[in-house]
Amino acid sequence: MAVAAPIMTIEKVSKAFGGIHAVEECSFDVPPGLITGLIGPNGAGKTTVFNLITGFLRADGGSIRYKGEELLGLAPHQVEARGVVRTFQHLRLWAKMTVLENVLLGCRTPVGENVLTLFLRPGRVGAEEAAARERAMEVLRFFALAGRAHELAEDLAYPEQKLLSMARIFATDAEILLLDEPTSGLDTDSLQKIVPMVRRLVEHGKTVLLIEHNMELISQLSDEVVFLHQGRVMARGRAEQITRDPALTEIYFGV
Amino acid sequence: MAAYVAHYLVMVGIYTILAVSLNLLVGYAGIFSLAHAAVYGIGAYASALVALKLGLGFWGGLLVAAVVGACAAALVGIPSLRVAGDYYIVASFGLQVVILTVFMNWTDLTNGHAGLAGIPRPRVFGLVIDNPFKYVVLSLALAALTYAVCRRLTGSAFGRTLRAVREDEIAAQALGKNVVLVKIVITTISSALGALGGSLYAHYITYINPSSFTLEESIFIVSLVILGGTERLAGPVVGAFILLAVPEALKFLAIPDTVAAPMRQILYGGLLILFMFVRPEGILGRARARSA
Amino acid sequence: MDLVLQLLATGLVVGSLYALCALGWGLIYGTTLHFHVAHGAVFALAAYYAYVGQKLLHLPLLAAVAAAVLAAAATGLLIDLLVYQQLEKRGAFRTSIFISSLGLLIVLENVLAIVFTPDPMRMDIGALGTAVIIGPVFLTYLHILTVVLAAAGYGLLAAFLKWSRWGQAIRAVSSSPEMARTVGINLGKVHLLTYAIGSAISAPAGILVAMDVGAEPFRGTRFVLLASVGVIMGGIGSIPGAMLGGVFLGLLENLGIWKLPSEWQSAISFGVFLVFILVRPRGFFGRTIHSAEI
Repeated sequence: MAVAAPIMTIEKVSKAFGGIHAVEECSFDVPPGLITGLIGPNGAGKTTVFNLITGFLRADGGSIRYKGEELLGLAPHQVEARGVVRTFQHLRLWAKMTVLENVLLGCRTPVGENVLTLFLRPGRVGAEEAAARERAMEVLRFFALAGRAHELAEDLAYPEQKLLSMARIFATDAEILLLDEPTSGLDTDSLQKIVPMVRRLVEHGKTVLLIEHNMELISQLSDEVVFLHQGRVMARGRAEQITRDPALTEIYFGV
Repeated sequence: MAAYVAHYLVMVGIYTILAVSLNLLVGYAGIFSLAHAAVYGIGAYASALVALKLGLGFWGGLLVAAVVGACAAALVGIPSLRVAGDYYIVASFGLQVVILTVFMNWTDLTNGHAGLAGIPRPRVFGLVIDNPFKYVVLSLALAALTYAVCRRLTGSAFGRTLRAVREDEIAAQALGKNVVLVKIVITTISSALGALGGSLYAHYITYINPSSFTLEESIFIVSLVILGGTERLAGPVVGAFILLAVPEALKFLAIPDTVAAPMRQILYGGLLILFMFVRPEGILGRARARSA
Repeated sequence: MDLVLQLLATGLVVGSLYALCALGWGLIYGTTLHFHVAHGAVFALAAYYAYVGQKLLHLPLLAAVAAAVLAAAATGLLIDLLVYQQLEKRGAFRTSIFISSLGLLIVLENVLAIVFTPDPMRMDIGALGTAVIIGPVFLTYLHILTVVLAAAGYGLLAAFLKWSRWGQAIRAVSSSPEMARTVGINLGKVHLLTYAIGSAISAPAGILVAMDVGAEPFRGTRFVLLASVGVIMGGIGSIPGAMLGGVFLGLLENLGIWKLPSEWQSAISFGVFLVFILVRPRGFFGRTIHSAEI
């Protein structure tokens, strides 16, 4: 069992809305280079945890450290700059933009995005854009979407849209990828496309933290599992351990 | 007759600058502004004042106009763009009202209702632009330059980010885009360019007063953008050609002046409503498949 | 000191007018999220409805006013039914709704300008115009009535929203349209009702101003702008906030005249607005907005 230092630590993080404690004193570590699954019944607070990590919500208390740096209090784009990216359950692709453009938006193009350099350094802008396009096409090939590069994102089939949402965050070169329900809404055939893809991300040296609903897929997908219930961490450990625990299964399917 | 056509073309050039710069905001960034006439006016007054009081030439006036326009936009944009989009509508509405108040009441500076007269003609490479035909060249050249600048912006990574922000700003944030900064930058640029139109206008007509920069004028510029289409940068140009011909057409119908002004407004307002129903993407836009 | 008291009194009267506008506009915006600038046209129309009722149809003042309020409510409802809901059926974006609203505002105001000319159309208000002198403060009965009506309007609206079934439906939709739909609330009907009530509560403001200084075609634009500022400062979705925001603006504008020339009134309100949203964007009582999908 790898005893590498965790790449991300969530410590006693809490978030309440009105009287509802969505997340309460939640603490867990994310080991590097593995897939950690965040599981639990509906309303357990899993997406809230993602929102807290990525700065879309501000935690009431606690600490979220990534590679030693505190993420709490940062705006979402600042969190991304530190190397933490996420997908959304409802994808949030730029439907009216092309597949290539969706991925290009994930690539680093600071010279082209800065209005001053855009006009004063056209040479560098051109070179950067060309490099970004190549990188984007490479990413698309990795995800087997290269043939659809110039189609609108909204014209893709749902499984391919899910791949696209992963492709664009992959293009950011972030080291830790937060996947929000990467397998939801997919039939068995499409799952064959997605599940191996998630494994390949890790083979590329990424760390993955994913939210997963499907208990059966958990063992296939995750190495480590964190079980959340009513905003608290109920259990954590290897996937096989957790999925076989009858008490947890009851919580998951019960009530 | 030729002079008449020349005048029409000069105005098309000026309104192209105004409408294309507004399209950056409304069409590409999805930020609605009702203050473009105020920006137009800021450019006109700033340029006129530095020419009359400081003897600064046309090019200096253009620069000052752009800077002052940019500052006004930033002043309003920085607080309101951090929050939801509708705040900017209110803020821009307010800016329009306040700027017009300044034009009308800060009489020491702007001469109030009487306006500023005797604005000098521009000198370009030693040549004085003193007749409509020479002005057509200047106006269309500046319009083309503005268009080129906007094209470079929209075709770049910045332009891509802009469109992404318009379509889904949460996704944009998740991918590292500083959405607020992008909005502030584009608002500033849009105003700087719009102010250039004002500068051009001031030196052409050589007389300016507040009545050219009212809320009605803002709405007219919005109509140009909507009519021509927000999707393509060239859309507003088409809008300009068409809508500028309208007042002339109305003149042929010999409508009394008191009724002509409200009639024009009814036409522009009616066009806005009509286009939202029939063709929201404007004349040049691609017809969208109507979603369920 | 006398001047300050007078300005406070006038500020309260003007603030009451803004409050009525803000209550109506805020109700509509909070429930439908439509930036309904055409509310300014309804404000102007209400004034003309009352004018026509009294001067052309020779109705007694009270009847003319009542009829005008009903007509304004119907106008607001029709705008939603015939324009906004039709656009929504065609999948229009929110910007398209706003643009159509802007178009409506312009068309309606200018039609009024052609039909009635831009000059103020005065009404007969009889005894309401009698002066009332309270210490150094000079007001008319009409002014006092304005403040009373604003308070009454607020009370009625608050009661309606809290205790009536339809009021609760409006609050549900305002809080979350998706949830309201899942519990079986008909959004279309709730929207129509919201427009009718919102227009009805702001109509008296337009009528009261007309009774004071005459009906004018373009006054509504300024009122709807200030109403939206008041709603934002008070907090979107908050009825007491809209009331407070409106009154606050009225007081601000008038106290501003104490030290600054009156033409700068709007500049003051607007400047305060900008500083306000810099410091507290959600306003006095605004709800914290949770983005529904993230």
